[in-house]
Amino acid sequence: MAGQKKITVVISQAPGRNPAKRELEEELAAALLVENEVDVSLVPHLNDLTADHSGLLYLRRVPGDVVILSWLYPRAARWILDRNGVKGQMGISLLKSAEAGDDEGIPAEEEARPNAIGALEVPKRKLYCLDLRDQSEPRVYLDEIRRIAREASVQTVGLDLMQWIGGSPQPAQLQRYLNPFLPVNGAPGPSAAPAAGGASDAGEVPPPAVATTDEPPKRRWYPIIDYSRCTNCMECIDFCLFGVYGVDTLDRILVEQQDNCKKGCPACSRVCPENAIIFPEHKTPAIAGAEVERDANFKIDLSKLFGAPSALEIAAQERDTELVRDGRDAVGMSVGVPKRQESKPAGPRDALDDLMDDLDKLSV
Amino acid sequence: MSESESLVFMMGQFPARIPADRRYSSSHLWLQPVGDVWRVGFTAYSVRLLQDVYFLNWNVDPETVVRAKQEIGEIESSKAVSSLYAPCEGRLVRFNEKVASDPTAINTDNYETGWLYELETQAPLLDAREYLAVLEAGWEQTQRMIKGQMNE
Repeated sequence: MAGQKKITVVISQAPGRNPAKRELEEELAAALLVENEVDVSLVPHLNDLTADHSGLLYLRRVPGDVVILSWLYPRAARWILDRNGVKGQMGISLLKSAEAGDDEGIPAEEEARPNAIGALEVPKRKLYCLDLRDQSEPRVYLDEIRRIAREASVQTVGLDLMQWIGGSPQPAQLQRYLNPFLPVNGAPGPSAAPAAGGASDAGEVPPPAVATTDEPPKRRWYPIIDYSRCTNCMECIDFCLFGVYGVDTLDRILVEQQDNCKKGCPACSRVCPENAIIFPEHKTPAIAGAEVERDANFKIDLSKLFGAPSALEIAAQERDTELVRDGRDAVGMSVGVPKRQESKPAGPRDALDDLMDDLDKLSV
Repeated sequence: MSESESLVFMMGQFPARIPADRRYSSSHLWLQPVGDVWRVGFTAYSVRLLQDVYFLNWNVDPETVVRAKQEIGEIESSKAVSSLYAPCEGRLVRFNEKVASDPTAINTDNYETGWLYELETQAPLLDAREYLAVLEAGWEQTQRMIKGQMNE
């Protein structure tokens, strides 16, 4: 339709060579290429993109509403993008997981929790993050994209390329972020690579960048902060002993040295009292950014009965493993264990207390 | 109490049988000596809470040294999903391959052919009476935990 605002759809490809995933990505790309209201692009797996990757440079220049299809939970995709300067309101997708029941209601608008510090400088445009693991039928995604295209607002917002990292970085932080593999005080790196498809200056609508030619990026492992939940309590910076976290000029927590993070270790996420720290690649849905409160496929978790350690015990164990691997001493529960435990008033004695005392007596 | 007798714990209307011929862990597993190792399986209490087991997965290999509470696998049933943890420190000698590929026996014969794995350990264990005391002390809490999760 002439004059109608186009919506941008970005397919973020799965890492690896899973043929079923590639097929879904390719079927979707092929179908979307012939849609009039849609500009479609492919980028590698969002989690793995470095700040200067052409895929992210492209995404930062896209104005207006964007639909992002990725193999990630929507919360994970949305906050990876936010960290990387691709900002916007979380669009509401009506797509349901194939396993979800029919009684699942329409999700509410994203709302920052009362004490959350929120993301900074979020424009009005919307980011619709769809999880490619939800459904196997391309048609379901195409229907949803068409629905979003119909409801998409037409306003576009110019994005300042320096307004990323969720706040106001100090110069050295900015430098480390743009050149993650340089020594901290190293010489400035080369300027950012040109955007995919030779995109024009910021502000213009870039041409669709179908299939980037970059080498597949290396797998990355790092925390992502969900600022709609984060209260800036600093438990994470106290607990992590590897220097991953820092604060910006406004004293807001940020992931400063993401490549200091230890692969496979999600300890800080377990310590976070707001469940605001996402490890997009972790196998546990709650840590990988699933909306745990809205799990329609409800089952009871009996892990505690079957001897699960507490989240804090796990976090300390994971941290110790990484400390020992680095040739440092394990610290167990002696360092950085959340202060909230201390201030918690002792509740009335209950059956669990009795049970625990009985267990202690039995020395098991 | 002879070896062949069983204690019974009433989970509401459901009688969970606790055979006296073996030991127990507070994480609702039974352990029975077989040669030099302990054969380990779910108690009737566990199985009642799980109901039909659909899927069982072990994420450590046989001959792995495990510490207490180390995560060793996952289970999914009609009512629950759960990770599984080593009941105490020891060496996990082997898994019941038959049950790993078809977990039906966990429901039909949990105290015999539905065993899960064999563990070498020196850790102290509960006897049937002590395990019964654990169940009695924890039943209110367990019901509250389950209702709490369902009302979330």
